[in-house]
Amino acid sequence: MVLAIEVRGLVKIYPGGIKALNGVDLDVDEGIIYALLGPNGAGKTTLIRIITTQLRQTDGYVKVFGHDTSTQGSNVRSLIGYVPQEMSLWSDLTGYENMLIYSKIYGIPSNSRKKIIEELLEFMDLREASNRMVRIYSGGMIRRLEIAIALMHRPRLLVLDEPTIGLDPAARRLVWGKITEYCKEYNMTIFFATHYMDEADRYANYIALMNRGIIIARGKPEELKQNVEGDRITLKLSSIDDNISILNIFSEIEGITILKTDGDTIEFSTSNVSYTLPKILEKLFQNNLKIYEIKIHEATLDDVFIKLTGRRLSEEEYGRYREAITMRKMIRRGS
Amino acid sequence: MYKQYKNAILSILAMIEMELRRLRHDPLEIIARAIQPILWITVFGVVMARVRVFLSIGDYITFITPGVILQSSTFIALAYGISLVFERDLGILKKLITSPIPRSSIVIGRILAGGIRASTQYIIVLISAIAVGAKIVSNPINLLLGYALLVYGCMGFTSLSMILAITMKTRERFMGIIGAITMPLFFASNALYPIDIMPGAIKYFAIVNPLTYIVDILRKLLIYNSCEVFNDIIVVTIFVACTTVVAIKILNKIVE
Ligand SMILES: Nc1ncnc2c1ncn2[C@@H]1O[C@H](COP(=O)(O)OP(=O)(O)O)[C@@H](O)[C@H]1O
Ligand SMILES: [Mg+2]
Repeated sequence: MVLAIEVRGLVKIYPGGIKALNGVDLDVDEGIIYALLGPNGAGKTTLIRIITTQLRQTDGYVKVFGHDTSTQGSNVRSLIGYVPQEMSLWSDLTGYENMLIYSKIYGIPSNSRKKIIEELLEFMDLREASNRMVRIYSGGMIRRLEIAIALMHRPRLLVLDEPTIGLDPAARRLVWGKITEYCKEYNMTIFFATHYMDEADRYANYIALMNRGIIIARGKPEELKQNVEGDRITLKLSSIDDNISILNIFSEIEGITILKTDGDTIEFSTSNVSYTLPKILEKLFQNNLKIYEIKIHEATLDDVFIKLTGRRLSEEEYGRYREAITMRKMIRRGS
Repeated sequence: MYKQYKNAILSILAMIEMELRRLRHDPLEIIARAIQPILWITVFGVVMARVRVFLSIGDYITFITPGVILQSSTFIALAYGISLVFERDLGILKKLITSPIPRSSIVIGRILAGGIRASTQYIIVLISAIAVGAKIVSNPINLLLGYALLVYGCMGFTSLSMILAITMKTRERFMGIIGAITMPLFFASNALYPIDIMPGAIKYFAIVNPLTYIVDILRKLLIYNSCEVFNDIIVVTIFVACTTVVAIKILNKIVE
């Protein structure tokens, strides 16, 4: 079966000398939702812009359904729908007009134009708002309209660059609800970039972790998380007279690794919380130890990222906040 | 091959439609921009006609009408480029270059859209000039041809504006440059007075100023009822073609 996206040895050096991609290989099977997860500046947008034929690579190649992006660009363009990171609507036109203009640019035949637009507006819950100016749309409405526009020509591959950046959790859920619903119905492949790990975890079938222009890990979300020690548990206990005896108690339990003891607190990891925790509780109870507090931290993709790079995925909370502000400003400013 | 041309033309038409819809939603810019030319005609023109500065010119208000049309259209065309740069910051340009249409038709479509936006001044200025006594031909062919050639000429200024917007990079610098060139373009042309009364250096500038030729076209068509505009069209074509080619080249560079 031909791959939806095949990336081999991809290198991109920008004119200023910045090496944004440093040898990327990717295989995206048809029909899946594939996430490209990485912090700001990892090279996600650069990779997406090469896949969507906007940029030329310095080395390597990309094929979309077997078509080379640098020699068969127009074939590739007719197969993909794309939503850029920045807003791509005319804010001084209505939602309907935006769809109409793009449908003409995309060469949708005039006899089916109206039907396609109305169906997609309905599907995205935008029918009521369709005669309002995009200028007054919320961020979530803007993204839904952009996705609707990207779907008008029935692409086999939908490429989304940070589809929910700057949106609140409810808007993010709605956007993703629509995407997955559509995907199921039409068996479309989705390739999206994000720096929200929870989003990749929840919606993707397959994830590639990206950092500084290379893919550092890839796999199904569960597989990736199995790479780290597993779930972490922190217990705060009643008076501990003798640390060693506590350690003794814990060392008798199978399947745990003690990470840290600090006064009356002990932190350990286990591959299966639901199975080990009852055993531990029983043991502590037998030894007349009281528990004041239990904290369970299930393994996340962030842990995977920390393990591989020593950095948090979402370290720059400030940067993220700023991006959201910029996005909203851009939307307001219009063109 | 045929289908490709058809799609390119349809996408150019779509961009024109986009511009017209924008205008319909928000005609304020056009109305605001019409105030200045109306003042040129109804105040400057009327006063100058009374003091009879340029004896070689018969009817001064009629004489400056094409010039004022051009002045106000060029202003709009030259300000238009900024919208494309905004679209680069926004995702519209990225989106357009991933659509199946050729990149050159994006530029041509936007240039044409800008030309059409700019040429809205044609009607407003003509009506106000006629109201204060300008004698404009009533031949509809000349009027339509004048309009079409005005759009054509303004396409060159829109391209020029896009080139400037892209190379200037910031909005402030762009605005500064535009402010600095629009007035000289207007004054160093035949818009307000005939070229032969100008001093040497300015005269040479007026001769290479594309504005001069578009004004000349409108003057011949609208005032002298003459269709001898072929030579002027050639000059304007060179201007439009050069700026468009450069704009297409530059656009390819900025999206990289
Ligand atoms: N047009 C460009 N010119 C030069 N450098 C760029 C350009 N676009 C991105 N970069 C640089 O390439 C690197 C990767 O950027 P990008 O692909 O946007 O990352 P991400 O989308 O993961 O945040 C960054 O260091 C960025 O500064
Ligand atoms: Mg990005």
